[in-house]
Order: sequence, then structure tokens, then C-alpha cells
Amino acid sequence: MTSQLATRPAPPAGSVSAKPVTRRRSVEGGWKQIALNRAFLLPAVVVFVFLFIIPLAQSLYWSLTDFTGYSTEANFVGLANYAAIMADPSMLAGLSFTLVFAVGSTLVTTLIAIPLAVQLNKAFAGRSFVRSLWFFPAVPSMAILGLVWGYILSPLPSGVFNTLLNDWFGIDAISWLSDNTLAQGSVILVGVWAQTGWHAVLYVAYLQSIPAEYYEVAKIDGASSRQQFFGITLPLLTPAIVISTFLLLTAGLKVYELPFTLTGGGPGFTTYTITQSIVVSGVGQGRYGLASALAVLFTIAVAVIGFSQLKVASAIGKRFS
Amino acid sequence: MRVPVWRRTTLSVVMIALALIMAVPLYYIVVNTFKTQAEMVASPLALPQQWTFENWGSTLADPGIYQSFGNTLYITVLGVLLQLLVGAMAAYAMLITSSRLARFAAAAMLLGFMIPGQSTLIPLYRTLVGLSLVDNLNGLVLMYLGGSIFCFFLIQGYMRTIPYEVIEAARVDGAGTFQVFWRIVLPLIRPILITVGVFQTMWVWNDFLLPTVFLSTPAKKTVVLEVYSAVSEFTTDWPAFMTVTVIALIPMVIFFVFTQRHIVSGLLAGSVKG
Repeated sequence: MTSQLATRPAPPAGSVSAKPVTRRRSVEGGWKQIALNRAFLLPAVVVFVFLFIIPLAQSLYWSLTDFTGYSTEANFVGLANYAAIMADPSMLAGLSFTLVFAVGSTLVTTLIAIPLAVQLNKAFAGRSFVRSLWFFPAVPSMAILGLVWGYILSPLPSGVFNTLLNDWFGIDAISWLSDNTLAQGSVILVGVWAQTGWHAVLYVAYLQSIPAEYYEVAKIDGASSRQQFFGITLPLLTPAIVISTFLLLTAGLKVYELPFTLTGGGPGFTTYTITQSIVVSGVGQGRYGLASALAVLFTIAVAVIGFSQLKVASAIGKRFS
Repeated sequence: MRVPVWRRTTLSVVMIALALIMAVPLYYIVVNTFKTQAEMVASPLALPQQWTFENWGSTLADPGIYQSFGNTLYITVLGVLLQLLVGAMAAYAMLITSSRLARFAAAAMLLGFMIPGQSTLIPLYRTLVGLSLVDNLNGLVLMYLGGSIFCFFLIQGYMRTIPYEVIEAARVDGAGTFQVFWRIVLPLIRPILITVGVFQTMWVWNDFLLPTVFLSTPAKKTVVLEVYSAVSEFTTDWPAFMTVTVIALIPMVIFFVFTQRHIVSGLLAGSVKG
């Protein structure tokens, strides 16, 4: 019943002059009615104020104090907490791995998801089955998947990777999760495994909106499939790439579950993340001032990426329209 | 399109093979629930020589797993319904009001949308401690209400497609603001409510961050926490851990099969919103 109403019908020719403003007013009615109308917005505003605005203001304030939570006293310390972050090896490690993960997983996922989407967009037997299998890892909790991969990458003989490497190539057990570089790579690998199908489906949706005639004309002109990909597919996928990389980057910056369950942040602090750092120092150790300063830096980083991505998106939109 | 049969077949074979390789981790945890610890160590990927159901029996006999399913179900159902209600009400308000203040509030919320949940975690934790709502399922539901802002934006976008005349006609017929909301608007926006609901269900059901921070009593554990604590509980007994994991994943598989279409449309709606 809803589908035929889903698109707003074009107004009949005679009513074009009716301004939307006057139509709205006819419904607003008296002050009682107006108050009732606005009351519908109230729950959302309450949620927003209590779950977003007040805590954010508190974070901002605490980041400038030595508040610990054990005492009620909070002394103003200026930017000392921010300076302390720059001197804290675990927090610096958290910052750096979060960036490595966000950029690394975004790049690798995108490089696999686009070609995968191009193939998934072609007709072949078993396509929906293949699509579902790729997509499924995005559905369960990343925490559970991280734990499962912990067993797969285990250095013990019952770990799958090492068993296969040993059976096929006779390679001795590799400690995937306890070597600094390998551990970072493993976390990125599992992140890519979990996200690629999801983003490929996103790209498929955009691929389907590219008119088939473009490819037919290109074929007549003798363009190879590689030329078609770089000349037609890739440029027309630009909006999708902007959206997908934005989602990947912000998800990457917020990553918590995966490294926490797969490596616990180790070895040392090599796979430690900003979010883990906030939870450990804030909730675990009660160093509210320090944790709040980190939270503020984190918010700024996410906002900067968000806004620059919007800018890039609108610039691209202008170029292609 | 004239694609030769052999090329299509090759593509089919290659793609299915690749997808199956991607699914090895899932096969690995399922197949090992039917093995003994010794057999798993000897051959982690082979089919069991002797199918054993001992792992399943002992896991299903543990009341803890049912408790955690109940807890997760409670948090998810209540949390998602409230998010949808708050979001839909706000979107409806934006439809029927022309107030500048309301418009400003909506714009402010769009900005707040960018605030990552982790940066408000510590103040909220202290507030909930003060209200004695920590280690409390309802306290957690309260935290998940933050998702209503996301619901609001997705629902608002969809609500613009409702012909305004429908609401006006109902008003003329004497329906009040609440009646129009319940009887007219909510049924009309059902598709987006389902899409957003599926999306938020995945978030709340799967969430790990908030339950680890806000819940501590074992009896209040969610499913994800149950799996997490199974790792330390069964340090050496991998098949036992994997059985807990598979049991935790079964509802997600069923959910996936029934909602795949909505997950994809939600993914697109969410991506358009950014």
C-alpha cells in the first residue's frame, strides 16, 4: 500500500502557484497545536542534549583539569593533559596504529572491493550465493569474528594458517599475532576480510546505475575491457568511492572490537587503538582528565575527516555534473 | 550481451572458489564443534572421523547461554523500538512544524551526528554510575537511545516522500496530531522503519564496547560477552569455545537470511546520508 505513495506526485498544473508556506500554516493552527507539534521533537532533543551535548562539554572541560574521579576536586591544568598524551608511549602507539589501521584497511578493502564488484555485476551461475558469502562476515559481531580469527592465526599446530602452511609448503609455525608487524598486518587482514563484501555490494549498486549503452558505444569504438574500466567504470564510480572510503576511514578510526579481541592491543602496544586507550585510561584507571583529552583529539580527528570528505564529495559532484 | 559460455563458466567457478575460501573461517568453527579436542588438534580442517555431539550437549545444558540470549533480546528489542519511536516522532515534528527553532535543532543534531560514541563514553559512564544505572540492562538501553539521532535523519529523508495532502486530508477529517502519527504516518513509513530497524538491530545485538564498559555481573551478560568470556573459560578446550560461538552466530545467520534485502537497502540509505 505504501509503494504507490512513495513518490510525491507532481502537483496538477492549476495548483503550481500554491506556495508550500501557506500550506504549512493551514496545518499549524493555534498555539496549542503548535506546542503539540513541537513536542514531537522533544524526545530527540532530550536524547541529543543528554547523550551528546552535555557529555561532550564535560569531556572538553575535564580534558583541561586533573580530575581523577577518586576525588571531587578538579583543578584547572591547562593543556597539560594534551602534553601528557604526547609523552605517553601507549597513547602514542594507540594513535599511530589507529591511523595505520584506518588508512591500511581503507586502501586494501577498496582495491579488492571495486574489482570484486565489477565481477559480481556480471551474470554468472551462483552469483547470489557468492554475493551472500562475501557479504555475511559484515553481519556478526566483529568481537566474535576477532576471537574466531585468533584461533585461526594461532601459532599452535591446531591453528589453521600454520597447519596449511606446514602441510603444503613445510613452513614452520609463524607467530602471526605476537610479531609486531605481522600482528598489525593480521588485524588489517581480518578487517579487510570482514568489510570487503559489504563495500563490494555498495559498489554494485552504483555500477548498476551506469547505462549499458556507454559500454556498447565503447566496444564499437574498439575499447578494450581495461580501457572501459578506466575510461567509464572508474570515473563514474567516483561518488561511490568517496562514500565507501569515508565509511571505511571513520569506521577505521573508531575500531575497537577487532584488535581488542584478536590481539588485545599487543604485542606490547603495537595494535593498541585510541578507543581502547580511552576506555582503559578513563573507565579502567580513572584518569578522566587524560582520557578526556584523548577523546577530544579523537572527536576532532573524526570531524576533520568527515568535513574534508564532504568537501571532496561536493567538489567531485561539481566536476562531474 | 554476447558473453561466451566458457567465459561465464570460468567466472562462475573462480568466483565460487574465492567465496568458499573466504568462508573457510566459518566452516572451521562449525566443523570443529563436532570433534573432540584431540581430533581437532590433529586435523583442524578435515571433516570429523567420528561425529561427537558432546560439545553441543554440554554447552546447551549451561543455563548461562539462555540467560545471555534473554538479556540481549531484551536490550535489542527495547532499545531499537525506542530509537525508532524517538526518531520517527522527531521526523514527524519536522514535517508538521515550520518553526525556525526546530530547524535549528535538526541542523545541530546533524552536526552532533559526527561525534563518535567513544568520546562521550567517560562522562556518560560517570553519569550512569551516579544514577546507579551501571550494570543495569535498562541503563544500557538508555545509552543505545543515542542511535535515535541516526534513525531521525534516515526517517526524515524518507518522510519527505509522503504526499503532504495525505496528512492534510486526515486533519480535515478531524484526526488529531497523535492520530495522524499513529494511523497515517507510521504505516506509510513502514519500509524505512524496517530498514533502519534492521540496521540498528545489528548494531545493538553485536555491540561489544558498551556492554563491556557498562555490564559486570555475569548474569547480565549479553551474547557477545558470553562468547568473549568463553575464551578464558575454555583456554585449552577449543571445540567448547567454538560451540558457544556457533550458537551465538546462529541467530545472526537466520537474521541475515530473512533481512538481507533490508540490510543492503539500509546500507545504501546510510551511505547516502554519510
